Amino acid sequence: MKPAAWILWAVWLSTAARPETTPAKNPLADQPAAINAGRKLFVAGCSACHGSNGEGGRGPDLVRAWFVRKASDGRVFDTIRNGVPGTEMPPSRMADQSIWQIVAFLRSVSAPAYDLPVTGDVEAGKQIFFGKGGCATCHSIGGKGGVIGPDLSDAGKSNPLMKLRESILDPNAFLVEGYRAVKVTTSDGREITGVAKDNTNYSIVVLDSAGELHSFMKRNLRAVVFRKSSLMPSDFKTRLTARELDDLLAFLSRQAGRPAKKDEQ
Amino acid sequence: MKLLAFAVAASALWAQVTVEDLRRAPARDWLTYAGDYTGQRHSTLTQINGRTAASLVPKWIYHVDGAKRLEASPVIYQGVMYVANTNEVHALDARTGRRIWYYADNSATRKDANRGVAILGDRIFFVTSDAWLVALNRKTGALLWQTQYGDTKKGQFATMAPLAVKDRLIVGISGGDGGVRGFVAALSAATGKELWRFWTIPAKGEPGSETWSTDFDLQWGGAATWMSGTYDPELNLVYWPTGNPWPTFYGGDRKGDNLYASSVLALDADSGRLKWHFQFTPHDTHDWDAQSWPVLLDLPFQGRPRKLLVHPNRNGFFYVLDRTNGEFLLAIPFIDRLNWATGVDAKGRPILVPDMDPTPDGRKVCPSLRGASNWMSPSFNPQTGLLYVPTLEQCGFFASSAQRPVPMLNLGATGEDPTKSDRGRFYLRAIDPTTGKRRWQYPMTGNGLSRPGTLSTAGGVIFFGDDTGQLVALDARSGEHLWHFGTGQMMTASPVTYLVNGKQYVTVAAGMDVFTFGLFEAALPVPKVKQTEEP
Repeated sequence: MKPAAWILWAVWLSTAARPETTPAKNPLADQPAAINAGRKLFVAGCSACHGSNGEGGRGPDLVRAWFVRKASDGRVFDTIRNGVPGTEMPPSRMADQSIWQIVAFLRSVSAPAYDLPVTGDVEAGKQIFFGKGGCATCHSIGGKGGVIGPDLSDAGKSNPLMKLRESILDPNAFLVEGYRAVKVTTSDGREITGVAKDNTNYSIVVLDSAGELHSFMKRNLRAVVFRKSSLMPSDFKTRLTARELDDLLAFLSRQAGRPAKKDEQ
Repeated sequence: MKLLAFAVAASALWAQVTVEDLRRAPARDWLTYAGDYTGQRHSTLTQINGRTAASLVPKWIYHVDGAKRLEASPVIYQGVMYVANTNEVHALDARTGRRIWYYADNSATRKDANRGVAILGDRIFFVTSDAWLVALNRKTGALLWQTQYGDTKKGQFATMAPLAVKDRLIVGISGGDGGVRGFVAALSAATGKELWRFWTIPAKGEPGSETWSTDFDLQWGGAATWMSGTYDPELNLVYWPTGNPWPTFYGGDRKGDNLYASSVLALDADSGRLKWHFQFTPHDTHDWDAQSWPVLLDLPFQGRPRKLLVHPNRNGFFYVLDRTNGEFLLAIPFIDRLNWATGVDAKGRPILVPDMDPTPDGRKVCPSLRGASNWMSPSFNPQTGLLYVPTLEQCGFFASSAQRPVPMLNLGATGEDPTKSDRGRFYLRAIDPTTGKRRWQYPMTGNGLSRPGTLSTAGGVIFFGDDTGQLVALDARSGEHLWHFGTGQMMTASPVTYLVNGKQYVTVAAGMDVFTFGLFEAALPVPKVKQTEEP
């Protein structure tokens, strides 16, 4: 979709009049069954333009776009129902319930995982994180775990469920700055491997697997070799069963950083 | 190359910051807001000195996105600098200013200034604006725990740098200008569990509660604790300054001395028990918080070695106390214009000039609301024996009203009218801390609005921010100008100094940026480093 069409999309969503009959709030909001049904409908009918998880393609990114996130459920419903004139987005003849299911799915991919219901078992997911999954070798939660992967203490608050799932199944989908694997060789031949916390033409800071920081001026180095892909194993699709993956996601989605306030406990 | 092979469990063999490290005068590292426990802000580094200071040049500038007014004193350990801003911490390579990690608490429900972090063991601690204490892994910024110690619904919020003492963090609370009940608390460095809490306004029936008029006062009377304190490990006493009583400018309904507002408290670090207190301004009606740093000095006083606590107070008097028991030793004005008291009595209580309380028509009182010295840090140089105090000469026009106070909704029943107040002038004053006598002063131009503190070094150089946004270096003995640099921004933080790879640096946070200076060196060629990428 050309930029002008994207703008039309945004303007349409933010200004188009909405029939009084469409409720502002999705009657199927946050219902796991509706989200799953919506995912199937989205993949079948929308993913060709918007990507399989709404990440965008020919059509706009529906996960991060403000004109989707800020719009009411009813506004998104109307856009699906009526299409966006002047763009490739056509009207839909789907049943109301199907469109609401798609809206539920779209909300699930952009809302923080913490705010959504999950199907997995949180406690079982914890066992996988610290056990079979091996996640804690590199990642930490609440100070427990490794240091060379991003801290996941607020993973549920700071990531949509979709992003968590994708990150597990395809570790190269969302590479996080500051966690790129690197090996530096100093001018006297010492080798240090770790992740690059910072890198410029003149200096580099490496965090090694023991959690030690090393700051080098590039003029004192012989070579710097980065690893292109993520350090994270890419076999979680086979390493974990579907149920175990759901459990792990359930555990990660409950990580909010802050514990509940005293008056909320 | 198999980079994956190094992904093994982390070891815990990191260097740990110990309480012994925090006791030592700053040298390579700068480990507390004030450098060490004494609050002297004096570094033993000498590379930058009277001969070399003129060769200082900028080494790097770090921009803090979204910062409105940085007030933090950075902490530096083993070449890593930790800078706090509102609800966030930035860890920087202290040689280059490049960011190593960043932590932001996006759940915080307030956005207020932040004055810095504490470091202990392998952890960094800071407070969020809505009064949670947060513990982070100092190498990675990973969250270890966070715990709520104040309640915004009770007017409490947080701005101060925690003070690491033994196995605990000492924290205070802000909110004294909108109604609050202040406190000092100790929380476990391991878990965040609260170990003790000392309320700076006593509960009904407790000693000191008789210095207030009503139950409302006891609940909302202020005495906030919005700056950090200092600590004497041998006496095991924490010295913590307290803020003004509330309503700030109208005292008609809170008759009495209003303990423990506008005071300094000596608290047992283990139990939080009050060992002694000294109230600088009984029944304060001019917002003269006692937030200037209590500086701990071991010096002869009137021919006898004493453990002293000195305090250039916002009310215009320079105080000397015996910090073992709170005995009053000396109070002398350190500003030229002080008109609300004629002096102090034998116990240090001000001898009041009549009719200097704010009135509906206003009263001109010196010092002003900003005070003779506010929360900006003084420093002490053991070689010169002088205390360096940012001092404001200014009179203010104070007005009050008997408006009914509503906590967290209205402020202190009016205040100072800037249109009728003096413009004011800042000076850096060098004071003999045992007599209060002025040795020299360095006048500044400006509008009297800045808040930077000072730094003393064994190189005989005093650094401070002036009232026009310049970082200035003066000769510690004479006050002669050595060097200055215009940051282009108002400074509201105090400079620090540290050493990395044998080179001394000076850093100050100014406005939205962190500026770091070092001695001039010719640029070295940067050979092309082989940089490749493998799958």
